[in-house]
Amino acid sequence: MIQDFQQSSAPGGQTTGKSYWRSLDELADTQAFRNWLHREFPQGASEATGVNRRHFLKIMAASFGAAGIGLAGCRRPEQNILPYSRQPENSIPGVPVFYTTSFPDAVDSLPLVVETHQHRPTHIEGNPGYKSYGGSTNVFAQASILNLYDPDRMTASSEGNNRRISSAEAADILGKVANKFGQTNGQGLAILAEPSSSPTRARLVQQLKQQMPRLRWAEYAPSARTSPDKALTQALGRPARPVYHLDQAKVILGVDSDFTLHEPGSLALARGFAAGRRAKNQADAKNMNRLYMAESAFTATGAMSDHRLRVPTSQIPAFVAQLAAEILSQSGGDSGLASQLREQAASANLDEAWVRECAADLLANRGHAVLHAGSHLPLATQQLVQAINAELGAVGHTVDYVELPQAEADSIEDLAQAIEAGEVETLLILGGNPVYNAPANLEWDRLQKKVGQVIRHGFYYDETSLLSQVNIASTHYLESWSDGFTYEGALVPVQPMVLPIFEGVSELEVVARLGGRQTSDVYALVVETFGSYTNEANKDKAFQRFLSDGGLFEHRFQSINGRVEFGSLRNALSQGSFQAPSIGSNALEVRLKMDDTVGDGYWNNNGWLQELPDPLTKLTWDNAILVSPKLAEELGYDTGKGTFLIGGISKKQNNFVRDTEVSPVAEVTVDGVTVRGPVHILPGLPDYSVTVSLGYGRSKVGRVGKNTGFNAYPLTHSKNFFARNGAKIKLVGEHYPLSNTSQHWSMEGRAIIREANVEHHLEHPDWVNHMGMESHSPPVYGNAKDMPLQEKSLKQPRGNSLYEHPDFGSPPPNVDAWKKEGAMDKFVPEQQWGMSIDLNTCVGCNACIIACQSENNIPIVGKEQVAMGREMHWIRLDRYFSSGDLKQNQVSLPANPQASFMPLGCVHCENAPCEQVCPVNATVHDRQGLNVMAYNRCVGTRYCANNCPYKVRRFNFFDYNKRNVDELYAGPLGTNKYKTEGGTLVSMQRNPDVTVRMRGVMEKCTFCVQRIEQAKIAQRVKAADSNDIRIPDGLVRVACQNACPTDAIVFGDISDADTAVSESKANDRDYALLGYLNVRPRTTYLARLRNPNPKMPDFAEPFSYQEYFGKGGTEHQPAKGGSHGETEHGAETNAGHGESHESSEGNEHH
Amino acid sequence: MPNIFTRSANRVPLQVILILLILATTAVAAVWYYYPPQYTRVGYMPKQPVLYSHKIHVDQLGLDCRYCHSYVDQSGHANIPDSQTCMNCHSQVRKDSPALAPIRESFESGKPVEWVRVHKLPDYVYFNHSVHVNRGISCVECHGQINEMTEVWHDKPLSMKFCLDCHRNADQYVRPLDKVYDLTWKPESREAFLKQAHERVVDWNINPPQSCSGCHR
Repeated sequence: MIQDFQQSSAPGGQTTGKSYWRSLDELADTQAFRNWLHREFPQGASEATGVNRRHFLKIMAASFGAAGIGLAGCRRPEQNILPYSRQPENSIPGVPVFYTTSFPDAVDSLPLVVETHQHRPTHIEGNPGYKSYGGSTNVFAQASILNLYDPDRMTASSEGNNRRISSAEAADILGKVANKFGQTNGQGLAILAEPSSSPTRARLVQQLKQQMPRLRWAEYAPSARTSPDKALTQALGRPARPVYHLDQAKVILGVDSDFTLHEPGSLALARGFAAGRRAKNQADAKNMNRLYMAESAFTATGAMSDHRLRVPTSQIPAFVAQLAAEILSQSGGDSGLASQLREQAASANLDEAWVRECAADLLANRGHAVLHAGSHLPLATQQLVQAINAELGAVGHTVDYVELPQAEADSIEDLAQAIEAGEVETLLILGGNPVYNAPANLEWDRLQKKVGQVIRHGFYYDETSLLSQVNIASTHYLESWSDGFTYEGALVPVQPMVLPIFEGVSELEVVARLGGRQTSDVYALVVETFGSYTNEANKDKAFQRFLSDGGLFEHRFQSINGRVEFGSLRNALSQGSFQAPSIGSNALEVRLKMDDTVGDGYWNNNGWLQELPDPLTKLTWDNAILVSPKLAEELGYDTGKGTFLIGGISKKQNNFVRDTEVSPVAEVTVDGVTVRGPVHILPGLPDYSVTVSLGYGRSKVGRVGKNTGFNAYPLTHSKNFFARNGAKIKLVGEHYPLSNTSQHWSMEGRAIIREANVEHHLEHPDWVNHMGMESHSPPVYGNAKDMPLQEKSLKQPRGNSLYEHPDFGSPPPNVDAWKKEGAMDKFVPEQQWGMSIDLNTCVGCNACIIACQSENNIPIVGKEQVAMGREMHWIRLDRYFSSGDLKQNQVSLPANPQASFMPLGCVHCENAPCEQVCPVNATVHDRQGLNVMAYNRCVGTRYCANNCPYKVRRFNFFDYNKRNVDELYAGPLGTNKYKTEGGTLVSMQRNPDVTVRMRGVMEKCTFCVQRIEQAKIAQRVKAADSNDIRIPDGLVRVACQNACPTDAIVFGDISDADTAVSESKANDRDYALLGYLNVRPRTTYLARLRNPNPKMPDFAEPFSYQEYFGKGGTEHQPAKGGSHGETEHGAETNAGHGESHESSEGNEHH
Repeated sequence: MPNIFTRSANRVPLQVILILLILATTAVAAVWYYYPPQYTRVGYMPKQPVLYSHKIHVDQLGLDCRYCHSYVDQSGHANIPDSQTCMNCHSQVRKDSPALAPIRESFESGKPVEWVRVHKLPDYVYFNHSVHVNRGISCVECHGQINEMTEVWHDKPLSMKFCLDCHRNADQYVRPLDKVYDLTWKPESREAFLKQAHERVVDWNINPPQSCSGCHR
C-alpha cells in the first residue's frame, strides 16, 4: 500500500480544486486518471460497447460466472487470511500495542501513549506516568493522529516546477547547501525555523552555528508561546521561565490569559486550578480558590472565573499598572512609583473599585496568590505582572522561576531586514508557514521572492511552499525520532511507531545534513543527547527505560532565585508602555487571537478540529468577527426589520434561519487594511473590542480547509501582533451562513446547570436538591427514595414509574444454572456502570469531544450538515450564558454575562425513553445498566432521538464514512471512499474495536462499551477457574475521562460503594439533569460552585441561580420573607417555597 | 345481456388468494430453510493453498492447538500460524514435498500464504477466543472435531442462535480447564459431566452475556 501511494500521487501542490475526499489519482492528475476522464467509461465497460459481439458475450458470461460464485449456496465471497511470513516479536494479532511518545511543541511537549493496532496508530492518550499532566491531553494532541493519515499532506519532496525528487535527492541538495556555505562560514545562508523544545535540535543548531558562525538562525511562530520566557529572560538577565503551581494558589488573577486552554503548560495549569477548585466535601469547598479575570476575548478560562472584568487587550497594560499601583499603595510600597503607574493607567478608565478590592484580596492571601499573564501581552506588561507576583510573595510558592538551556535565535523581523538588505542567498524554512502567518507589515511573500533559493521543509504543501524552489516533505511526529521537554522540564522522547507512510525527511535529519553529517540516523542523535541527561553507566539500557516510561519524568529545569523588581520597570514606564490607547465606537480595538480549534492555521486541514465547536461561540468550520451586543446595536441592526428577529422570540440575538446562523458580513479596517468576514455577537466582550481569530482563510490548503473562514493575518503587525487599535467596522449588506451548534444561549431560568456561591453551599449543603422541578414533585423513586445508590442500581426499584424494571442483581430468568439449590449464594452480579461529571472543574476545553471522536470512529459531516444540526459528536459541550436579570419578553443578549459549561453525552437512563419507542428493539438495556445500540437492528425511524429529552442521539443521515462530504446527496452515484486511496488512508485511523456505522443508523455515546467489554474479558481470562470476575475500580477508563485535564469526568461501578464514582455521586452537589422526568440517568452532575468576593463591586449570587429564583416576569426583588414569584412556580410545594425564601435572602448581598 | 364472466370466475379471487398464500408460505419456508448459516455455512470446505491436515498433525502427531494458534488464549483473534512455524519442523521433515512449496516460498520471500477463510463472523460481531478457552469452552464446541478433519470445513452454524444456546446454558458445556485443548476428551458419563459443569459455572461465576453489548459494539 505504501508503494501505491508513492507511485500514484504527485506532491500535494497539484491539487486541482476539487474539494474534500476524492480520489488521490484525481488530485494527482495521473495518466490513468486522464485516460479515465477521456474515455468517459472505465475500460471494461467501453469495450463492451464495441461491435465485437463475441467479446461482449465473453464478458457477460464471465460476469454471470462471477455472480455465480457469490450466489453459490448464498455464500459470502471468499476471503483470505494472510498471516505473517515470520511473526514479529511482541505483536499479537488482535491485541493493541501501546507506544510512548510525545506531542512536539515549542515549549511544552506533551507526553503521550499511542494505541496501535497492527502497527497503525489509532488513538492518542496522555501518558499517566507523568503526574503533572495526569495522562491528559488537549485537542491538538488528540487530533494530530488525523494529520498522519491526511491524504493532503505533502506526499513527496519536489523541486522547481513540481518535479518529484526522492529523499536521497533532497538530502543531496541539503548536502550541497552545507558544502557551499561551509566555505563562506554560513555567510548568505539563513534558516527560519519554528521554536522547538527538542534538546537534540538545540544541540545540532549549536554545532551548526559553530561550523558556520555567520549563519543566520531565526525562529518564528505566530502563537507567541515563547514570550513568557522572553519576558522573564529579559527581566532576570538569564534564560528563565515562570512555572506556575496553581494548586498552591488561593487567589488567582488571570491577566488576559486563557491559561486553562491555550497558555504554555496549560494542562498543568488547568489541573492545578481544578485541584484548588475540586470540592469533595464541605472543608474543600471552604478552601476553594478564587479566580479573577481581566480579559478582552471571552475565553473558556474567563467562563470559569468568579469575577470577570472586561478590559480590551490594549488596555491590559494600564490595568496591570493600576493593579500594581494599588498593591504598592496598599502594602506601603514606593508611593512615587505608584502614582506614576496610576497616572499612566488613568487613560484606561477602569473600574477602580474592582481593581482595589482585587488587589486587597491578592494581598490578603500573600504567598497563596498569583497572577498569570497572557503570553500575547507586551513583554513589559508580563514583567510588571512578575513584579506583582514577587510583591505578593508568589515567587517560590505559586510560581517558580526555572533556568532554561541557553538558546539564541533571531526574530523574523531581523531576518526580514537581512533579506531586505540582500544578505540572504539561500533561505531554508523549517516548518511554519510565514507567507501565510508572518506579520503583515513584513510582506513576507515579497521578501521570499527576493531570496535566490528557498528550500522549504514542511508537512503540507502550503502558501509558503508555493514560493519555494525546493520542497522537502516532512515526516509526521508519529513517524520520526526526536525529543523534547515538557513545560517544567521533564525530558520526553518522540518515538516513531509506524514507518513513514510517504517518503519524508524529519526536521532533525534536515538540520543534521546541513551540519554536513552524512547520516540519516536520527535515532543515534537522540540517544546521544539522552546520554547527557542520565548518570547511568549503561546508556542503552537507560534509553530503553526512557522509552518504556515515556520520559525522564523526574528531570526538571533547575529552579533559580530571582525576582522582578518594580524599580526595573521605570524605564518601560517612562516610555509610556502602560499607556492605554483610547477606544471607542470610532476607534475600535481588534483583538487577534489564535483560533481555539485550528490554532495558527496549521490545523486548518484537520476535519475533526474544523468541526469542533469553538468553546464559547460554538461556531464550526468558520471564524467570525466577534462583536459585543452593544457594538452590534450601534452597527445598525434594525431589530424592527427582523434581521435579528426569530419568530418573535429572540430579538437582538444572532440570527438563525432554520438552523443556520445567517450572519451579516462586515469589513474591519485598520490602518488602511481591510478584512471582511461574518459578524457574530458574543456577549461578554468589551463594548468596543472586536475579537477575530486567526488561522482561517487559507489560500493554499487541502480539501478540508478549503473555503473555510477568512484570513485575519493581514491585520497583524510586528509591533502589535495581537491587538490593533483605531479600527473601524461597517456592514456591507451581504450575508453569510455560519454553522453554529448552539442556537440558544440561555437556560431560561431552568435548573439545568445548578450554581451557587460557596457561602450558600456551606450554609445549605442540600441546596442542589431544592432546585429543579423534582424538588416540587413526589420523589421519582417513591418509597425506595432512601435506598442507597448501590442497591438502587442493582434492584431497579419501580418507584413512581410506569413499568416494573428487571432486577440487575439477579441472573437472567432464562438461565437455569442459578435456579438450582444453593447456587444463588455464589452469584456475583454484573457491575453497574455510571459516570459523574464535576461542573465545578470542567473548564470547557473540548478535549473529551476529540478523544471520543478518535476512539469511537465518529465521522465529520461538513459545514452544510452541521448547519442542519446533523453533527455526529457523541459528546456536546453545552455553553450557557446567564445574566441574572432574565425577564419575560426581554431576551436581548446580556452585555456582561456569566458562562457555564456542561458536557453532555448519552446519560444512560435506567428508565430510558428511547427504548420504549423503538419499534425494532434496536436500543435496549443490558444488564450492566448501559443503554445499548444494536446498529444492525436499527431501521432508522429516529423515534428514539425524538423521545430523548437530552437530545444526545445522532443519526447517520448519510453514509458519512463512505461518501465525500461534498457529494453526500449524490448517494451511490458519488465516489465510494473505501475505493479511493485517500479514503483508505483515512480509514487506517479507525478503531477496529468499534463498528463503523453506515447510513440510516442511530448512534450515541456507549460509555465506551468496547473498553468495558475488553476489561471484563481481561478480568475473566485472569480469573480462569476462580470467581474473581469483578473489575477493580479504575481499570476501565473511558476515552473522555482519559483526555480530561481536570479529572472532571469520573467513571466506574456504582454498585460498589468504594469506587471513585460512587464517592463522587455521594457528594451533596450531585444532581441529575432533568431528574424530574424519572428517567434516572446513570450520568449525574456535581453542581458548580462560584466563589466571589463579597467586597467586590460585582459580587452577586450566580446569575443562573438568580434567574432560576427570579424568573417569572414579575419585578421580583428578593426581600426578607418576601413572596416568591407566584406566576412561575404555581405547582410548588410548601417546602419549595421555604427554600426559595432562604435563597432569596442570599441575594441580599447584592 | 349475457354475463360477461362465467360462473367459474367467482372462484378466481379465492384461487388468487390461495396461490398467493402458497407462494408466500413457500417463500417464508425457503428463506427459513436456506438463509440461516445452518444451511449456508455448514459444510463449507474451500480449497486451501496447502492441504494442511489437522488429522495428521493433531490426531496422529499430537500437536497442541496452541503450537500453531499460539495467541488463542491471549487475543480475541485466534491467529493463523506464520510460515516460520511450519518451517520449524518442515525444514527437516518432508522438506522437499511439492505440497509444501507455497510455505517454503512464503518463508523465503516474506510474502504471506493466502489461506482461505473458513469461519467468518459478521463484522459487527466481536467474538473473543481468549475468554472462551480460558473459561472452559473447548475448541470443539464451535469448530467441531477439527482434529479429525483432513481438510477444514465449517462444522457448526455459528449463528446468533448457536451462540445464545450456549450462553443461556453454559452449564452444559464448561469443561475443566485442562481439557479445553484435549479435543478427544470424553467425560465418563453425561450425567457426571453435567453435574460437574454446573458446579464449575457456579463456582467460577460464569454468566455469559445475553445483552447486545456482549458481542456488538
